[in-house]
Parts: sequence; structure tokens; C-alpha cells
Amino acid sequence: MRAGTGKILVLLFLVGIFLIGVAAAQEGVDESCYHCHSEQVSEFEKSVHFNNNISCTDCHGGDMKISGNVVSLDVMTKNFTGSPSKENLTTFCSKCHQKVTADYEKSIHWEKIQEGRTESASCTDCHGIHNILSSMNQDSPTYRENVPLMCSDCHENETKMQAWYYGIQTDRFDTYKKLYHYKAYLSGGRVLASCSDCHESHDVKPEDDPESSINPANLPATCGKTGCHPGAQNAYVYGGKVHEGKSVYFFSIDVKTLVTYFYILMILFELIFTFGLIFLGMSSNFRILRRKNHD
Amino acid sequence: MIELKFKRFTLNQRIQHIIFFTTFILLAYTGFPLKFPDEWWAKWMIASVGGFDNRTLIHHYSGLLMIGVSVYHVIFHLLLEKPRIDVLFNLQDLKDFIQQMRYYLWLSDEHPKFGRYTWKQKFEYFGGGFGAAVMGTTGLIMWFPFDAMKLFPLGVVQIAILFHTWEAVLASLAIFIGHFYDEHFGKFPNFSWITGNISEEEMRHEHPLEYEEAMKDQEIKEEVTETGHRKETGLITVFAKLVFTVIFLAIIVWMLWISYLVLVEAINTYIL
Repeated sequence: MRAGTGKILVLLFLVGIFLIGVAAAQEGVDESCYHCHSEQVSEFEKSVHFNNNISCTDCHGGDMKISGNVVSLDVMTKNFTGSPSKENLTTFCSKCHQKVTADYEKSIHWEKIQEGRTESASCTDCHGIHNILSSMNQDSPTYRENVPLMCSDCHENETKMQAWYYGIQTDRFDTYKKLYHYKAYLSGGRVLASCSDCHESHDVKPEDDPESSINPANLPATCGKTGCHPGAQNAYVYGGKVHEGKSVYFFSIDVKTLVTYFYILMILFELIFTFGLIFLGMSSNFRILRRKNHD
Repeated sequence: MIELKFKRFTLNQRIQHIIFFTTFILLAYTGFPLKFPDEWWAKWMIASVGGFDNRTLIHHYSGLLMIGVSVYHVIFHLLLEKPRIDVLFNLQDLKDFIQQMRYYLWLSDEHPKFGRYTWKQKFEYFGGGFGAAVMGTTGLIMWFPFDAMKLFPLGVVQIAILFHTWEAVLASLAIFIGHFYDEHFGKFPNFSWITGNISEEEMRHEHPLEYEEAMKDQEIKEEVTETGHRKETGLITVFAKLVFTVIFLAIIVWMLWISYLVLVEAINTYIL
């Protein structure tokens, strides 16, 4: 009996080893990361990088060759890079995307990261990390029509905005919503101009930077982009801000407020006048009826 | 007794009116949904004209046609025809207005006697003229903003946008509630905008001074007697009035909704 039990145990052990061996043989090289980083890998498999045969090591570096057991501590010594800090992130992306990284490194976002404001937006804040999609993909946060939502994620957030930069306004999406550019989209048309169309996507710069796309000197060129407003080159795109909802001053008079007050009064007057006269007219009809009955 | 008819609108004026109100309705129908894209009716209305690009096309070319008919109106009635003096406001209108208010408030038993144009009709006429001028000018600025910006700064375009919305609401309130009630609901069925004629009874009721003026030269054989009987109303007329009333009420609700939205937005932004 004892000897029999021992044989069975040895047999089970051998079968177990065999099964692990089969499982290991079925694993592709790329899937080896999956054993521990299952979440990241399954996100990555939906991404545009995966579809273009980019592998984990293209960003994270290291050596994927497996020696010995699948679950090997050996990977720790193979020189993989974990998640990079914000300051180092661009070195990841610039391996392939040299031009856009160079553009990004001119932006106010990058400038602030360099100053130590790590809340500022970096590549992954807009594009996502492992699940990066093409900007042509409707599910991508960088898809043209999703861009306002993506930007407002930070730019509408008061704590985020005020934490590191005084004077940055959080009503940019709200004021944008009132413009034809966005209303056309809400009404079922195309997005005519999204945030990045005017502010640039990678090379975002503040208004007072002479190289900024929204610097008053550059606005005619920005508005006059192909497919937008071809006649803009000779126009005066100043004397009012695109996002400024409330006031437009001429000779230190706030004309917008003045016009609004005027029309609020006009419409209230119109409503009272119209319905008042309808009511008075109706009641005078009763008066005529009553008089007729008297006669 | 011969049934007299009085000419109120010439064929020229009737065609102008038809073009003006058709474009007006199209402009309101394709304009307000863009202003309030979040409302359910906005999506429905834009879908009903076949999408956003059609909406824009209809709005632009209706606007152009309305500008055309407005310019034609001014040129025709000022230059090609002898201009009418009696459409202008005068002191009598103020007196009529005060007298009518006194009558409405039971302070007097005397209803004012109106001539060819009542004070309210003059208000509507010049209000319409002012509205067409404002909407036409600001509309063209909005259609060609960068051409406008060769002449004016961006602020002017933004003020034009502001005017366009407000004036649209004001004009639509005046037309869809005031004008519809006075001229079409109150006088239902009023076909004078097609035939150009109004009945003797209406003439005597609404424009007694003009009636007296017109009848002075006429040799009237029969004494005009006050006819007690009401206009015969057939079943079709009753049904038509019912349909008109339902549409009219729906438009009133819609207009009040829009007024509420613009007023709340303005008060939230500018006053609170």
C-alpha cells in the first residue's frame, strides 16, 4: 500500500511538471509579461501600438528572452524600465515620435513640468498610457470631437488649475460651448474647430508668447488655416477675445452688458405688453357682450 | 344690399408679405435650434430639415431673400411709389392709445376710432422694419465674419451675435404671439393676406375713420343697418380654427420656453 501511494504521488508530480511545460510552450514571447502585468497587457492589446506590432520592450526596454522557468525572477535583472517619471516620459515617446515630442517640448505644459509642476499635462495625460488609440479612432480621447472633453478634464477643474498657476481660467469649456464652433457639433454637425485646432495639440503656448498660435499677431494665420477661414489673412482678429463671454468694451463702455440689459427690458416689456393687451382685449369682449345683453 | 369689399393690400404687398413671413418662419425654425442645442426639440427640428448642413443652407438663403424683400420694400414704397404719410406715427396715435387703455380699464365707454393704420399696426410695421434691419446686418456679419473683420475688430462680430439672438427672440414674440393673435386668431379666418380685401363689417369695426372717408364720396342708396346676425360658421371653419388654435398654443409655449431660456441665461451671466 505504502509503496503504491508513493508511486502515484511521483506520477502526479511528473504529470504536473508536464502540464506546466505544455503551458510554457504555448506562451508566445510577447505574452510572457501577461503573467504578472495582465491588466496592462490586456489594455495594451487594444491599442494602436499593439496593432502596429510594437511590443512591451519597445517602450520599457529590457530583454524578453526567457530562460528557465516562466515565472522567473530573472526578469528583474533584464534591465526593464518601469513607469517613467513625467520628466523622463518624453524619452520613451521620442524613440519613435521625434517630431511631436519636439513640438511638445516647446509647449507650456512641458515648460511647467520642467519647473517641477508635475500636474501639468504630459503625453500620457491626453493620449492614455497602455490603451493609446489613434486620434482617428472615435473612442480615443484625442479624437477631434472628444478633445474638448479631454482638455476640460483638467482645465475645468478649479483645484487643479489654481494649485499651480494663478489666473488660469476654468470657464474655457463653458465659454467654448456658447460658440458656433461647438454648437454646430451639438446640433449634429461636424466639430468645426476643436481646442487643438486653434491652440495646437502638442505645441500649446500661452497667448502672450509671440510664437503662440493664439498670439494676436498669429491669429489671422491660425484662423486662416486650410479648410477654415480662407479670408482671414487680412482680417483684424483682435478687439475681443474668442472665449470672452461676458464683456466687450468699446471706448471703455461694456457694449455687451448694455445690449443685454436693453433686450432684457425689451423682452419683459414685450411679454407684459402682448399678454396684457390680449387679456384686456378679452375682458373688453365680455364687456361688449354684457352691454348687448343689457340692451 | 351689395356686399362691399375694401382693398387693404395690393398684389405687390401681398407677395412681399408672403415672402417675408415664409422666410421668417424658416429662419426661426432653423435658427433657434442652433441657439439651444441641448433642448430635445432642437435635435428634432434640425433632423426634420435633413441635418445640420441643410439647416445652415436654409437659414443663409432665407435670410438673403428676406434682406432682398426688405430692400425692395423700402425702395418701392419710398422711391417708386408716392410714400404714404399715414403709416408714420403722429399725435393721434398717442391719444388713441391712451383712449384705448382708458376704455380697457373701464375709465371710459368710448373706444377710439382708428384710421387706416392703428397705433399697434404702426408699431408692428416699424418694429418689423427695425428687426429686419438688425437681423439682416448682424446676420451678414455672422455669415462672413472674416470679411466683417477686415472692417471691424472681433468685438463687433461678437456684439452682432448677441444682437442677432436677442432681436430674433423679440421679433418672434411680436410676430408669433402678438401679430398671430391680433390678425389671424382674433379675426379667424382672415384671408385678406391672400385676397387683399377686407369686408365692409371689418372695415367699419376696425377702421371707422377710413371707412367714413371712403364712403363720403360714395352715393349710398341704402341706409346701412346694423346687421345682428353673426357670420355663418361652417363645420370646416370650426375645425380649421381648432387646428389653428392648437398650433398657435404650441407656438406660444415654444416662444415662452425660448424667452425663459434667454432671460435666465442673461440674468445668470450679467445680473447674478
